[in-house]
Amino acid sequence: MNVLEVKGYSLDYPTPAGFVRALDSIDLAIARGEVLGLVGESGSGKTSLAWAIMRHLPPRAREQGDISLGSQSLMAATESEIAAIRGRRIGMVFQDPSTSLNPTLTLGQQLAEVLARHRGLTRRQAWAEGEAMMARVGLKQPAAMMHRYPHEASGGEKQRVVIASAFACQPECILFDEPTTALDVVTARQILDLFAELQAETAVASLYISHDLALVSRVADHVAVLHRGRLVEHGEVDAVFDAPRDDYTRRLLAAVPRPDHRLVTGKPAAGADPLVEVERLSVHYGRTPFLSALAGRRIAQVAGNRAVSLSVQPGEILGIVGESGSGKSTLARALTGLTRFDGAVRFAGRRITGRRDMDRGYRRDVQIVFQHPDSSLNPRQRVREILSRPLTLYGGEARIEALLEQVRLPAAYAERFPHQLSGGEKQRVAIARAFASRPKLVICDEITSSLDVSVQAAVVELLVDLQRRNGTAYLFITHDLNLVRQLAHRIAVMYRGELVELLDIDDLSTTGPRHPYTRQLMDAVPPPREYKS
Amino acid sequence: MSPSYLVKRLALVVYTLFVVSLLVFAITQVLPADAAVMLLGENATPDALAAIRDKLGLDRPVWAQYGDWLAGVVQGDFGTSLRTGQPVAPVMLEALGRSLTLAVLAIALMLMLALPLGIVAALRRGKLADLLVSIVSYVGVSLPEFVTATLIVLVLADWLKLLPATGFVPLTESLWDGLAHLALPVLTVSVILIAHVSRMVRSELVDVLHTDYVRAARLKGLSRRVVLFRHALRNALLPTITIVALDVGYLLGGVIVVEEIFALPGIGRHLIVAIQTRDLPSIQAGALIMAATYSIVNFLADLAYAWIDKRIQYG
Amino acid sequence: MAELLRRLLRTPQGLLGVLIVGLILVIVVCGPSLAPYGPDTMAPRLRYRAPSAEFLLGTDQYGRDILSRLLYGARSTVILACLATALGTVAGALIGTTSAFLGGRADEAIMRTIDAILSIPSLLFALLIVNLLGKSSFSAVMAIGIAFTPGMTRVTRSVALAVTKQDYVNAAIARGERGGYIVLREMLPNVVAPIVVEMTIRVAFSVMLFATLSFLGLGAQPPSSEWGLMVAEARRFMHLSPWMILWPSLAVALVAIGFNLLGDGLRDALNPRT
Repeated sequence: MNVLEVKGYSLDYPTPAGFVRALDSIDLAIARGEVLGLVGESGSGKTSLAWAIMRHLPPRAREQGDISLGSQSLMAATESEIAAIRGRRIGMVFQDPSTSLNPTLTLGQQLAEVLARHRGLTRRQAWAEGEAMMARVGLKQPAAMMHRYPHEASGGEKQRVVIASAFACQPECILFDEPTTALDVVTARQILDLFAELQAETAVASLYISHDLALVSRVADHVAVLHRGRLVEHGEVDAVFDAPRDDYTRRLLAAVPRPDHRLVTGKPAAGADPLVEVERLSVHYGRTPFLSALAGRRIAQVAGNRAVSLSVQPGEILGIVGESGSGKSTLARALTGLTRFDGAVRFAGRRITGRRDMDRGYRRDVQIVFQHPDSSLNPRQRVREILSRPLTLYGGEARIEALLEQVRLPAAYAERFPHQLSGGEKQRVAIARAFASRPKLVICDEITSSLDVSVQAAVVELLVDLQRRNGTAYLFITHDLNLVRQLAHRIAVMYRGELVELLDIDDLSTTGPRHPYTRQLMDAVPPPREYKS
Repeated sequence: MSPSYLVKRLALVVYTLFVVSLLVFAITQVLPADAAVMLLGENATPDALAAIRDKLGLDRPVWAQYGDWLAGVVQGDFGTSLRTGQPVAPVMLEALGRSLTLAVLAIALMLMLALPLGIVAALRRGKLADLLVSIVSYVGVSLPEFVTATLIVLVLADWLKLLPATGFVPLTESLWDGLAHLALPVLTVSVILIAHVSRMVRSELVDVLHTDYVRAARLKGLSRRVVLFRHALRNALLPTITIVALDVGYLLGGVIVVEEIFALPGIGRHLIVAIQTRDLPSIQAGALIMAATYSIVNFLADLAYAWIDKRIQYG
Repeated sequence: MAELLRRLLRTPQGLLGVLIVGLILVIVVCGPSLAPYGPDTMAPRLRYRAPSAEFLLGTDQYGRDILSRLLYGARSTVILACLATALGTVAGALIGTTSAFLGGRADEAIMRTIDAILSIPSLLFALLIVNLLGKSSFSAVMAIGIAFTPGMTRVTRSVALAVTKQDYVNAAIARGERGGYIVLREMLPNVVAPIVVEMTIRVAFSVMLFATLSFLGLGAQPPSSEWGLMVAEARRFMHLSPWMILWPSLAVALVAIGFNLLGDGLRDALNPRT
């Protein structure tokens, strides 16, 4: 018996230019105790499907087909029937717990209100039940947690509260919309374990929406792949991975980073002098405001980096991994003179202790690509002007068209503004700008993390190609351990501002990591399962 | 709210008043090449000039003048009026009381009208009601008080003869008569505030209605009413405290004009008279009291905000 | 420019704003040649006339044609208000960018002081400066310009600060661009747009403030046909002819509405991402 069933469902959104098809003849079913993984890239329509099931669509949206919960058609239900179903029979867990919880209500209030609404409990009963739920989702000190506001809890704790309120009324079905995407890897892993545990215990029918195919393969029984509003693949996890039928699924599977599938061959020449040496580099953030100093209050200085030392060989790819706030981007900012630092950087025989020491030669040889191309490309400049700057500064005969071709963009893009390009295209322009001065080191600061998997794979391939042709060294900063294992010659692991481990990629696969944090990190993200191409 | 926030915010008020006192004193007494000539005119007799220089201590060093004046101000002594010879402080404070009555009534009226208008516009976004509120607020923010006053007097006092156009009756003397005399001035100064605040409430609420947490609340099956009152309004109306407090600046400016038009003996009218008759101590007192009112209102608003919104002390 | 205008006309606010402000500019430029009579031509036997074919908007207490006076007065009202706004904007932009550029304690000290000055209501500030400089149109312009400076400083600084945090500025620094290029080519185009918007909206406020000062007898002086002054003079004769007070009041309101609409339209049109 299927709990949730979607039959021949199509959805069109109204736009000023007419209706746009978001979902096209979708057929899905989830049985009790089953987990269906719904995979798709941004714009594929996966979130639209979630809104359609929750009956949360813009007023003029056009629909066909049917969505039913048990024997009841959701599309035929009245508004008050839907309000009684939401939270009671279908729960939902959202992507980002820091925005899906109301900042001015305590966690307890937000959990108890669901119980009071749907289970008819009194305020006191709901509170007690909420506390029990908090304990059940693994929150320590549930009584204290009930009284906290969202800003007083960590991301993982907040997501546990969101999960608790989704499970609170023992619904038949729960939609999980990228529940771990906004969390750090280690926390994400704990949330996934909690999900598996609760899922097994309650036998709820789950729709698990994600962009991450590898992750879905671990949590789901069945997988459905959504591409431009259409289901291109649907079947058991094993079947889909062993014999993907659709071309798009195959491309998506191929794009998933696999640590054992090395993209970079060869090694930087041994014994050569290092290109860059970082010596005990520290960065401190935060200063005591004048008035607070008067008031006698001292503000703890936040350490950005604590005495980090490392070196990069010519042509080497050094991966830097760590969770958000671990200080990896701070290192990038220090190396480009965007933040003050203590300690020194040794480059081409010179000792650099601050922005003033970074001369023309250093600027030409050390380039950076930022995470968000939306912010790193000036919205009021055309691509031509953006790319012409490093050429005017550092010469070189390269033409704009050649630079664009190098990153596989058509020459006509030179006349476009950044907002006329897609995310991947913008990042290619940023990469072209960095390579225009023929640098010896390019710092890549999470440059693929805002991109879709398939776009990410193409950008990574481009980087590998550029590295092979130009012999450029990379400082490749990322939170994605699997990705960095495909690329890097050595990996530096950062944790709370400190460099905790620096290991050779060969040692990683043979002897394994030594530091407990690195081990935790690796356990959190197991390599994706193999598939037959 | 942490004590250090309170101390910090209080220090800011003191600093603000210090800067304002310095500025007011500089503009009125120091910058004029010869304050005595400015006060009495070019044709004043040397004796009269000498007398006023002596009275105001204009021959002494600038810092000594300021120091004495400030010392007096701190003790509540703003000097004596050059026009009436009476001490300035009691007159000004009494006038301030009348002006505050006007201001408080205006804010009350504004809240009664602006909040519902803004909420309705946000909930009916893109519909007729929204368009009407938006037109009304465009026109409202574009009418200077003297224009509003003109139109209101033409219609309500002259044409319909509903309310008295000028004059002032203390509320303590006759509540009804007093309110009737205050009605037109209150209406006049609140037009700009209503227009501005309803627009702000609308845009805040529209933003909040699109947040993830409001959507999450709705998808938990909570009723529209609970989502609106418990989840959305609370967050949308919080910034209104700050906006209203900042608008007190406009309000005080409006009070000056309105008191002049309706012959209301508040602090604004005293200030205009003082400027027209070049009554230096009164100008200084009026300006300082108005700026102090504004910064104290904003101080209280910030405290209220921090008290209601617990995030502030962390942010 | 053509592109900007096209984007501006796309929104209802932009369209209406362009129409009203365009009309005002026409009146400012050609007002005197459009006027049927001189602004000071008196006709003692034709006083307090209601609108008619002869006098479209009626006549005042000296029998002067109100329409002609309004057409002449547009120059003193609108141009001076724009001038005052420009003064405040330039001064505010200079202090604001300097403060954002200096950063740290200097920035904090400057901005705290600016906040302190902001606690003097604009009208009061303007009154104090008029008191210092004497009653005249010139001192009203100075007064409004100075009174606007702290507000514009705040706006400029926050915009400049937001732009400094953008990665394209970081990218330029990391690329080794000179300070001049970063400020002029990377930052300025992104800073100017919000300031232009703020300035346009402030012209509306400035027109209102200028007329208010004249109304209080502290701005333009008779026999000028500045609109605020016309309202002030008409007050005494309100019972004889409401038209005298109505027309200049509406004229001030129309200008303010026009600039407010234009400002909101520009806000959308200058956003490169829409």
